[in-house]
Amino acid sequence: MRDDLHALTGSYALDAISDAEREEFERHLQRCPACEAEVRGLRETAVRLARARAVAPPARMEQRVLAATYRTRQLPPLPRDQIRAVRAFPRRLAVLAAAASVAAAVALGVTQLSAQHHLDRARETAITRVVTAPDARVETARASAGGSVTVVTSAALREAVVSTTGMAALPSGRAYQVWVMSPSGARSAGLLHSTSLLASAVRPGDRIGITVEPARGSARPTTSPVAILPL
Amino acid sequence: MSRLEIRQRPPASSDLAALLGQVARGDHRAFELVYAELAAPVYGLVRQVLRDPAQSEEVAQEVLLEVWRTASRYDPDRGSAAAWVLTIAHRRAVDRVRAENACARREQKAMDPAEGQDDVAEVVVATLEHQRVRRCLDGLTGLQRESISLAYYGGYSYPQVAKLLGVALGTVKTRIRDGLIRMRDCMEVTP
Repeated sequence: MRDDLHALTGSYALDAISDAEREEFERHLQRCPACEAEVRGLRETAVRLARARAVAPPARMEQRVLAATYRTRQLPPLPRDQIRAVRAFPRRLAVLAAAASVAAAVALGVTQLSAQHHLDRARETAITRVVTAPDARVETARASAGGSVTVVTSAALREAVVSTTGMAALPSGRAYQVWVMSPSGARSAGLLHSTSLLASAVRPGDRIGITVEPARGSARPTTSPVAILPL
Repeated sequence: MSRLEIRQRPPASSDLAALLGQVARGDHRAFELVYAELAAPVYGLVRQVLRDPAQSEEVAQEVLLEVWRTASRYDPDRGSAAAWVLTIAHRRAVDRVRAENACARREQKAMDPAEGQDDVAEVVVATLEHQRVRRCLDGLTGLQRESISLAYYGGYSYPQVAKLLGVALGTVKTRIRDGLIRMRDCMEVTP
């Protein structure tokens, strides 16, 4: 093994390396059982360091987390052959963990794919807020374009998270656009760049619609919706 | 000795692993037990890195929900359940810190790992672990101890640690590694 790489076991175990280095090191780990064993031992050592700093969290946190578990869909186990694949690409799991505030993705059964899109932090936080809101409601519908659309709405926050899975890829020049539809008309909530999107200032009775539009978006829907969901 | 210090040792790691297996099958009761065991280390660690209590609470909450969500992905062959959970927690805290581009104030605070805990209203769960870790940390060289503290408790990357301590990159890499190995042997960690 290369000495300079091996010296990284400690920094890796403590997350003290850059993403690029982590990726390189994880590739190295695949081929270096000795390094893997060392990392494992050092990770367990870090656990002791963490336990030494344990602080009881505020009591309200437990209720919040437990309540959220009832609204949060769990990832299915990986099939055997995929376990190998994931081991070969631990980075993928890391990204998954990083984007996990896509707690949205959670409730929504959105696949691993969505987690690979890096959501910007503000949006990530907003999405988590909606999905973990005490009054969050979930609606799911099949899209005529294949796949399905899930909307999580918090009436209190007046926000909705729109999330899609398995929808057909569009030819270049076209994009899915999300609309907040009310009796007074349709207002754009934006283009669906990744698989989820936050719609603000929604009201009870509004509906969420998705249409196929030119890549730059339209001022109002120009095609019939591939999906419509009540909020 | 205060009552808290007589707190029981954490359950055997195999118990937690088994509990995670049940969590993966949607068992809320098992999750409550995992929460009871790991919420304090998770929150304490995140708070150690982030400092801000409100932000720490938010991140710790996300981490614990993540444990619920991804329990099926935990693989006992690759390490203990606690290591899996605390790795998620640490990485999430570090991601948050790096995104925020660590301000000068935080840097100063991180130099003194104990600072900021005196005013903590919540109870520090003083386990036997604390004393053991303290003792083992005392057995390290100053550079090893500082490198490890800044990296793990401070959330700094090793190049940042090198800069803060004014030593070469390679030196910090090595000190973190041999310091941790020494800690491991001192605490008789079994992987």
